[in-house]
Amino acid sequence: MENFLLRNIENPNSADINEYLKVGGYKNLTKSLGMKPKDIIEEVKKSGLRGRGGAGFPAAMKWNFATADPKFPKYLLCNADEGEPGTFKDRPILEKNPHLLIEGMVISGYALGSEYGYIYLRGEYPQAKDILNEAIKQAYEKKYLGDDILGKGVKFHLSVYQGAGAYICGEETALIESIEGKKGQPRSKPPFPVNVGAWSMPTIVNNVETLSNVPYIMEIGGDAYSNIGSKDCPGPKLFSVSGYVEKPGVYELPMGISLRDIIYKHAGGIKDSKKLKAVIPGGISTPVLPADGIDCAMDFVSMPKAGSMLGSGAVIVLDESVCMVRVAYRALKFFEHESCGKCVPCREGTDWLRKILERIENGKGSEGDIYLLSDVAGLISGRTFCPLGDGAAGVVTGMIKHFRNEFEEHIKNKKCVVS
Amino acid sequence: MISLTINEKEVTLDKPVTVLEAAKQAGIKIPTLCHHDLLKPWSGCRLCVVEVERMPRLQTACTLMAADGMVIKTESEAISNVRRGILEFLLINHPLDCPYCDKAGECELQDLVNKYGPTVGRYKEEKRKVPESHKDQIIARNTERCVMCTRCVRMCNDVQGASAISIIGRGNHSRMEPFSSESFDCEYCGNCLTVCPVGAILSRLYIHSFRPWQVDKEVGTICSYCGVGCSLVVQVRDDSIKRVIPKLGFGLNKGLLCSRGRFGYEYVNSPDRLKTPLVRKNGKLEESTWSEALSIIADKLTEIKGTSGGSAIAGIASPRCSNEDNYVLQKFMRVTCGSNNIDSLSRTGFAAAQKYFEDLLGQGITANIIDGIKNSEVVLVIGGDPTAVNPILGLSIREAARRGASIIVLGHAKGLEKFKTVQVVPPLFKEAEVLEALLVELFRAKGVRAELPFIDKEMRELSEKAAEKMDLPGFDELMKALLNSASTSIVLGMDLIQRTNGHRSLFGVAGITYLLEARLYLLSERPNEQGLIDAGCVPDMLPGGRPMNIPDFKSKFEAAWNGPIPDDDGLTLFEIIEGIKNRNIKALYVMGENPVFNLPGGPFLKDIFGNLDLLVVQDIFLTETAEIADVVLPALGWAEKSGTYTNLERRIQLQKQAVKTSRGMEDWRILSEISGRMGQKMGYLETDDIMREMAKVSPLYADLTYDEIGKGDCLWPYHGKPLRGEMNEVPPVVDAEKDYKADFYLAPEKLLFHSGTLSRKSPALMKICPEPTLKMSAASAGKLGLKEGDRVQFSTTAGSSEAPVSIDESIKDNRVFLSNNFQGSGVMDLLSFSIDEVTKAFGIEGCEVEIKKHGIKA
Repeated sequence: MENFLLRNIENPNSADINEYLKVGGYKNLTKSLGMKPKDIIEEVKKSGLRGRGGAGFPAAMKWNFATADPKFPKYLLCNADEGEPGTFKDRPILEKNPHLLIEGMVISGYALGSEYGYIYLRGEYPQAKDILNEAIKQAYEKKYLGDDILGKGVKFHLSVYQGAGAYICGEETALIESIEGKKGQPRSKPPFPVNVGAWSMPTIVNNVETLSNVPYIMEIGGDAYSNIGSKDCPGPKLFSVSGYVEKPGVYELPMGISLRDIIYKHAGGIKDSKKLKAVIPGGISTPVLPADGIDCAMDFVSMPKAGSMLGSGAVIVLDESVCMVRVAYRALKFFEHESCGKCVPCREGTDWLRKILERIENGKGSEGDIYLLSDVAGLISGRTFCPLGDGAAGVVTGMIKHFRNEFEEHIKNKKCVVS
Repeated sequence: MISLTINEKEVTLDKPVTVLEAAKQAGIKIPTLCHHDLLKPWSGCRLCVVEVERMPRLQTACTLMAADGMVIKTESEAISNVRRGILEFLLINHPLDCPYCDKAGECELQDLVNKYGPTVGRYKEEKRKVPESHKDQIIARNTERCVMCTRCVRMCNDVQGASAISIIGRGNHSRMEPFSSESFDCEYCGNCLTVCPVGAILSRLYIHSFRPWQVDKEVGTICSYCGVGCSLVVQVRDDSIKRVIPKLGFGLNKGLLCSRGRFGYEYVNSPDRLKTPLVRKNGKLEESTWSEALSIIADKLTEIKGTSGGSAIAGIASPRCSNEDNYVLQKFMRVTCGSNNIDSLSRTGFAAAQKYFEDLLGQGITANIIDGIKNSEVVLVIGGDPTAVNPILGLSIREAARRGASIIVLGHAKGLEKFKTVQVVPPLFKEAEVLEALLVELFRAKGVRAELPFIDKEMRELSEKAAEKMDLPGFDELMKALLNSASTSIVLGMDLIQRTNGHRSLFGVAGITYLLEARLYLLSERPNEQGLIDAGCVPDMLPGGRPMNIPDFKSKFEAAWNGPIPDDDGLTLFEIIEGIKNRNIKALYVMGENPVFNLPGGPFLKDIFGNLDLLVVQDIFLTETAEIADVVLPALGWAEKSGTYTNLERRIQLQKQAVKTSRGMEDWRILSEISGRMGQKMGYLETDDIMREMAKVSPLYADLTYDEIGKGDCLWPYHGKPLRGEMNEVPPVVDAEKDYKADFYLAPEKLLFHSGTLSRKSPALMKICPEPTLKMSAASAGKLGLKEGDRVQFSTTAGSSEAPVSIDESIKDNRVFLSNNFQGSGVMDLLSFSIDEVTKAFGIEGCEVEIKKHGIKA
């Protein structure tokens, strides 16, 4: 498959608008502005595009909810708060192909009747900020942004808003709180952002990758797009592969490719020919798969059947040298640190889990701790305000399910199976 | 109509509500911690989870809207498991110091754990440690007990609008903290205390002094401080007030209180309270007996009445006393003493404005429900800061702002800085001109309303006289907002009334009210300013607002009171003072008032009061006026006696006795005793007797009973008969044009934390606000080279004083403000005054003041 999302990124100047134009950039915008907004949405609907942020919600459905709301202005927010550990798939777009995102946002804004877009950028991406701002400046100069885009009377303004480093702000309602200048904490739903979002107006929040797919859909048409990859959730997908592989990196592959192929065919297999122990397939919030569980299709529909989730497509590969207790502890340290504190089970539960895991990891665990871990995870799971707590509980549950022996070893013999 | 099933019970709803509310309506209690009826849903504690048929997960009842056909279970094993789990989470870091915690017994966490468990702890790790903060003098903060429900923060932001506290930190490092760090820099409303479910926020006024279950009795009564009349509950043990708390959903304040109402009760038990009557002997006030003191007064008054006539006697009524007290005082003056010289210090503001508006627009024009303000499209705030004078009324304005109303401030109002849409700053002391210009513009746009022809005529004349449109920043915006508004509330403070040409401003306001059919609210600093007018403590009107000069009314009262009433209107406050100066008035009877301190020119008053043959003061403290009296009588204070009060919206409410004391006597009883000794028996045994008489003789109080008043919604016009359109001519405009070119002018300031006599005897309020400050704009401070906290000396032609400087961003002109609350440094002593010929209030504009940094010689 030919790269689209990562097209031209080998070019060291790929972020420059002229380089982007050389490879056909913004021609899909020109084409789209000649269409009726509802026809663009129809095309996106035909494409079967699903949100790439992790939940896999059908993009056109979200768009239709927003356009059905009579309130104006509508805001288009690009979620570039890529904070899930293991995830760095949006970074090449933001840093190497920013005009693709801008083009996608202008087309989407036009389709949605939105004249104001914001890119909510992860606090830890300072380079991307400069690159995006420069790209936006160039786009304004060439009239791809502004009050009268390409002389077609279409208005769309875009700016970058940098987050302050909170993971929770990747959750769309927390992102909205943050962009309004408030503390990042999720809001109650309903009302959903498509009706009552930023500054109480209809707001569409889409992931960087989702919006970057829009020009491609316009280029090849919804029908053609829907034939790429998995039937239920088609299109190209970016996978960020990290951990113990020969060639970690971001790969643009068709949705539904098997996890085994990602690791062995594309990422060069396990580093130093060691044995694979486990894979966290979609970012730290997705349940771990054991080595024999990797013959699964990487898409939103198949992964739950395989016992995990596609998430952001962040494949974390762990080999035989890795202590799973330590992985769980490290993950919980993250969740405890990032819990926003709004709801009780997540705020208190993640901290408790981290403390128990820390104890076990340090050889101070006691009998009953495995049960306690599972029980506390159970007290969190399904009871939190937003999915952050579920993710934390899922890590613990998954690790105990597949690697119980490592926990027992730590508790009973005060040592690690890998050391 | 929505029908659903909760716990197998059919529930039908009139309007869409949450499942939590629907269950409440059905009498089913769902446990909550973060939810509070005064606040918006938060959904953080997760305790209110319920099972909903066909929904996969448990749902939080506080956020889930009830829908037709829902089948809900609020208790089940699965639900109990969740609740036990949540409570276990809340307890792992909780100090479990219930035996020591003041909240024990009324702690929502304690009650929930008692019901749902857990019974044992599984947490082996070390608990979070955050030391209890005692830095604040009023509020004790114990973060370890905090359950992070954020009720306090939401109360502070979304209801009080002070935005003084926040949750800082993230996740399990979160804690509530004031932005001002350790101690609070806030409005000290204490509403965060009301909503805290645990012992994380407590009042230091009662900390470690009693247990909630040790309260002997709880008395639902109303507050003694301002003209709003908030409902509150006094908790008593051994005849001493332990605590004042609001009651959720109770009274017009619906469970909210302000700093004075919540923390200002300690004056009742002040050691400075008067305990026995005092009689001046050989130039010195000496302790005396009731019988001696009362006889001296009765004899002297009888003598003066005999030799100089009743008109040589005058009385000053009290807006701090009840309707019953004031009714008896005016009856005592009119019938027993034979004098209509009865007035009050409300003449200097509320009563003057009230009379002017009623004369022009009809009785009851100011009888508007405070709660209605929040539904206005425009709130025009003039001449004062409602959030300081009448804080709970101020909250309605802030709520209106949240609901999208335009809040327009003419002048300045610090408490509305964050809420105002437009601020129009009139040229110094030219508010009347601005209001007239506004009225003219509105009249030109709206035309004749043709309901009250004499007002239409006056407006036309004004409009013909008026030349250019006023060129003032914000003026056009103000005009536009008023013209587009379908519902306007006008909130008028007393600052503009206290001007030599205050009546011109009043006409402007009356005209705007009339043209826009606006609702008019008069700010009222004292709890019964309206009531004393209705009770007849004005020189020209009998109880129920019946003019003296209509013989039919007078003869009816004479028959009921069993004695003649003098024919002529009595003297107003400043005419009385003039009379004292000229020695025409020989006896002054002051009930619950402190004119020497509360009126401008205190030293002058003190001086001329020496002319009197008899000065009687009945009060609860030895005030500046009591100090120079011939006889001082100790009265009973708030919570020690019962009676009715009429608030600024003209709601009559019952203030109830909560504690018994032998310190003094009710004001009415003292008067009744003296009256008896003067040969006019009044025959009241209890306040009920007075109420019964008022209900019989006052056309306004017809058929009123304590039972009806006690229900809390005794609203104008009760069963009474208001008079309308008594006037058909606008009083002539008297004007003194003047230029104001001095560098600085001194003006009085109304403080949120003080009322004067009562508040300065309340330790908590003195801690919050211990000394007066001279408030000025940043520009004025810059001009003088001053910064916040610098001590300055300042002087006027009347006197001088010193205070630290406080910079107030809301002030935009070159006035400097000083309050009149602190003994020995009240602003009134420094002000010279004139009288508004129409309203008879004083005018204190244009008082030039010189300001010097302390220690710098001129």
